[in-house]
Amino acid sequence: MRSETFLKISVGAFVAAFFAYLFGPLIIMSLTAFNSSQFPRVTPWECFSVEWFDVLINDAKLMNGLRNSLVIGFGVILIAVPMGMAGALMLTQVGRRVRPWYYTIVISPILVPGVVLGISTLIFWDRMGRMFNAGYDSIFYDGIFLTILGQATFISAYAMLVFIARLQRFDPAQEEAALDLGATHVQTFRKVLLPFMKPAIGSAAVLAFLASFENYNTTVFTILSDETLTTVLASKVRYGINPSISALAVIIVSLTLVGAVVYEILKRREQAAAKESELVARGKVEKRRRQSPLFLDPAMIVAVLVFIAGTGTVYFAGTIGLEECKAAVLAEKRAKTERAIKERQTKEMFRQAAPTTPDPYAPAVEEAPKVEAKGTEGYRSIFAPSTLEGMAGQESEEQKENVEAKGTEGYRSIFDPGNLKGQAGTEEKKP
Amino acid sequence: MSTWISNFYHRNGTALSIFLLLSVLFWVFILIVLPQLFMMDFSFRHNLPPADIGGAKDVYTLENYQYMIYGSAQSEGSYNTVDLTVFARTLIAAIFVTLFDLAICYPIAFYLAHSAYGGAARLMVLSLIVPFWVNEILRAFAFRIMFGATGVINNFLIWAGILDQPYDFIRNDVALYAGLGYAFILLMIFPIYNTVESLDRNQIEAARDLGSPWWRIHWRVVIPYAKPGITSGCTMVFMLTAGALAAPQILGGPSSLWFTQIIYQWFNTGNNWPQGSAYAIILLATCIAFVLIMMKVFKVKLGEIAR
Amino acid sequence: MSAGVDLENVWIKFGEFIAARDVNINIKEGEFFSFLGPSGCGKTTLLRAVSGFLEPSEGMVKIGGEDMKGIGPNKRPTALIFQNLALFPLMTVWENIAFALEVKGVGKAERRKRADELLNLIALPGQGDKMVHELSGGQKQRVAIARALAAEPDVLLLDEPLSALDLKLRQHMRTELRAIQQRVGITFIYITHDQGEALTMSDHIAVMREGVIEQVADGTDMYDHPETAFVASFVGENNLFKGEVSDINGEQAVVDTNVGRVRARLASLPKERQLETGDSAFVFVRPESLKFANGAEADNRIKAKIHQEEFEGQFWQVFLNVADGAKKIKMSLVNDGSDLKHEVGADVTLTFQPELAVALPEGPLAQE
Repeated sequence: MRSETFLKISVGAFVAAFFAYLFGPLIIMSLTAFNSSQFPRVTPWECFSVEWFDVLINDAKLMNGLRNSLVIGFGVILIAVPMGMAGALMLTQVGRRVRPWYYTIVISPILVPGVVLGISTLIFWDRMGRMFNAGYDSIFYDGIFLTILGQATFISAYAMLVFIARLQRFDPAQEEAALDLGATHVQTFRKVLLPFMKPAIGSAAVLAFLASFENYNTTVFTILSDETLTTVLASKVRYGINPSISALAVIIVSLTLVGAVVYEILKRREQAAAKESELVARGKVEKRRRQSPLFLDPAMIVAVLVFIAGTGTVYFAGTIGLEECKAAVLAEKRAKTERAIKERQTKEMFRQAAPTTPDPYAPAVEEAPKVEAKGTEGYRSIFAPSTLEGMAGQESEEQKENVEAKGTEGYRSIFDPGNLKGQAGTEEKKP
Repeated sequence: MSTWISNFYHRNGTALSIFLLLSVLFWVFILIVLPQLFMMDFSFRHNLPPADIGGAKDVYTLENYQYMIYGSAQSEGSYNTVDLTVFARTLIAAIFVTLFDLAICYPIAFYLAHSAYGGAARLMVLSLIVPFWVNEILRAFAFRIMFGATGVINNFLIWAGILDQPYDFIRNDVALYAGLGYAFILLMIFPIYNTVESLDRNQIEAARDLGSPWWRIHWRVVIPYAKPGITSGCTMVFMLTAGALAAPQILGGPSSLWFTQIIYQWFNTGNNWPQGSAYAIILLATCIAFVLIMMKVFKVKLGEIAR
Repeated sequence: MSAGVDLENVWIKFGEFIAARDVNINIKEGEFFSFLGPSGCGKTTLLRAVSGFLEPSEGMVKIGGEDMKGIGPNKRPTALIFQNLALFPLMTVWENIAFALEVKGVGKAERRKRADELLNLIALPGQGDKMVHELSGGQKQRVAIARALAAEPDVLLLDEPLSALDLKLRQHMRTELRAIQQRVGITFIYITHDQGEALTMSDHIAVMREGVIEQVADGTDMYDHPETAFVASFVGENNLFKGEVSDINGEQAVVDTNVGRVRARLASLPKERQLETGDSAFVFVRPESLKFANGAEADNRIKAKIHQEEFEGQFWQVFLNVADGAKKIKMSLVNDGSDLKHEVGADVTLTFQPELAVALPEGPLAQE
């Protein structure tokens, strides 16, 4: 008996640890979006703020990437969903000897590494472009076009799997019945098969869009000089990070959660409807008129209210009192820095006589008064803390990030004026 | 063949026949088969400026593959230890990540299938899916935040007095393995969950009734039954880990490379597409070999792996 | 409108497998015609050739005298009722029924009106707005019939439509189907492996075995005058005695069997299949034709031992062992108080009138 209790406790602990592993990183990342600190982190907590969302929205590069990602996502839906359906229907019709070969070929893109798909698409269309003597502005060298095709290669296989699962529950006699009743092949397809496939088309489209939206491995090769949200994100994350990326994560996580809740509600309604019609068939109850529309579903209303209230609360909490808090944090940091400077000055006074090696912090110290002068202007002071922190030598990592950022491709970092424009509301300044 | 076409036409009518045939032919040939063949062709060519392509110098060569093994022609005699090491390290790390995922996912899949009920089980399934739909890059980013020098984990360890200096999780690849393991959890859990779920509870009860301890029940009853799911999960996780690009780029330490990163470099900074193609072919061949081995050793069909 | 169906020298082959061989059948318009045979005999394949889902490899399918070659199922004046009904699960009952009109482009009001008429015909008035899964099995059955009738076919094809129903409903639907057929007056072609269904409903029956039509006849002829060993053993119950023809005596054959010499009616067959002296022959005797001998008969005396008796109210079913005990036969006795004085284990002598038994050439039998 005791060993059983022990087993139960350890299973519980394991499940808890597992879900902590699953959600911990996401929760912490989400929290960093609300910390006014320049570097995404939870501790030390500075001020609760939603300003990183502003930074995010005003990031032209990210927004351009997002636009491309949406275009590509819809392009992939348009190609992969019909192609996946055709693939699934074909599977039911090819001969028994051909079927394993056919299946292996169309399923292989799922197993082939994404980078390989990206590379092969890139090379194939490059060769095609050469063969037709097309210029670099032609469709053969269009990053968005290539990305749609490259992604559709494997996303069609996902869509096909969705359709195969649905088709397994389709009775082919229904098609024959429709034909027999005088329908043309197209009518049969439109009135019998398509309505049956509708839920699968919906799932396949959502799946295709999500898979396209988050794809990196294939896209990074096929996108050429364009950028998608993921490639922008990847280069941002590689060359220097700030909490506006966490803000994006918050948005994506919340959208996913909303999607999950809606899905759950839809599923419950479906089950309720199925149960009811079963009872009707057995003659136990009279048929109710119709289910209330989705937006009147109590669960849906509660979900929407919670979402609105939550967003509103967070927004107000993140704006009210932000300036005061920041000023306080800034003052504290400044005091700390001044202490540090004083200490150093005292030390230096002791070492006066000795030949001094060049002080790596010297330029930063010189900068400090300038920053202080600016600090009165409120939001511009964002510039200040990080400079001060760097100077105080507390934030080795942040410093490293920033140096790295400067060193590579002139990538936009926190020092970049482009990043400031969001807060400062100044005109766009391209680096 | 001709009877098949006439049957096909008879069954689908003109418009649908054309739609089906064109879609499938486009997918199979233009998107799948031809690009792979072109890539393979390309990997056997010299890296030439555009003007020379198709010219007299454009002949087949094995140099791109030789490079992988022996390095450049200048350093003749010795092996290309850098790339070979990265290749081996990638495969070993991928196996390690796969085993790690299997170890943590099997108990969860079993728990989900046989111990959780109703709403709770559904909630768990849903909460497994949610992290999976968060962008791959963002997931890696989350691990970078967690494992950074001033990240939560270091702060916690220092606060708890376990460390007195921040530990560089990124340089030591801990963040990378944790992030890779995290990224493909779902692909391990669901195939196992699907097979374990269809296992008749009575079989477990019967084994328990016969006095079998819990570990033997798993070893003798559950695991053999879940074999197709385990094989499928392991194959998918291995392939995706070995072919991962984003996580190594974001979480990899400065000194360690992933094989895909070398391919990426040949295309971007190295600007040597044929060389990159050859490396891509090597990766592809490795993955095909892995799938074939898994199919052979565990006696599962391809359809059971890719679901 | 109604139309006849002719199958002329129809062969249907799937690679090596031959599903129908040289089928010749003439179905008159307005007739209820059944194909009866065990599963796998090719009757469904033949029906699909009539409805247009497959083309015969050789031969001709004519409907209303017109060759149907190259005409698809949607252009033929036939409507098929599928074994599993194949109702459209996502449409309401009335939409299912009106589907044939919908694809013709008939307006909604008109479609609804016609669907309601048909719902009345099948005795389901006011059920049009239900979904298909809200109906019971028998109701679905009737909706499938209405849906097919809405297409106003000249020929209605039914592929074992009752097989999914329970026994009681099945018997009820037999009567109903026959009634509907008489009301609408079109040709019904009915596929079944259940001889009860075929015998009760049909004007004519074709018995099929392994792609071959064994016999075409009406129900009583099929029962009383089987032309092959297969039909004799498949339709109704029969006792079989194997033997050799020792003499042909006008309308009768004398056959030496392992239970002795018996006389039986000589089946009237085409000349090339006619029994002759020396041929191997099967003699079939129906259970109800067997009687206990009273000693007056000269021929057809069979010694047997009663093995078991079953009382079925109207009948006694008596099972007997013949001769060496290797062979079991069955007799049915009307429960009129006579003849029932024998106990289990008693040795008895059986007899039958030669004209109630039939001698047929040896041939394949139906599986038990």
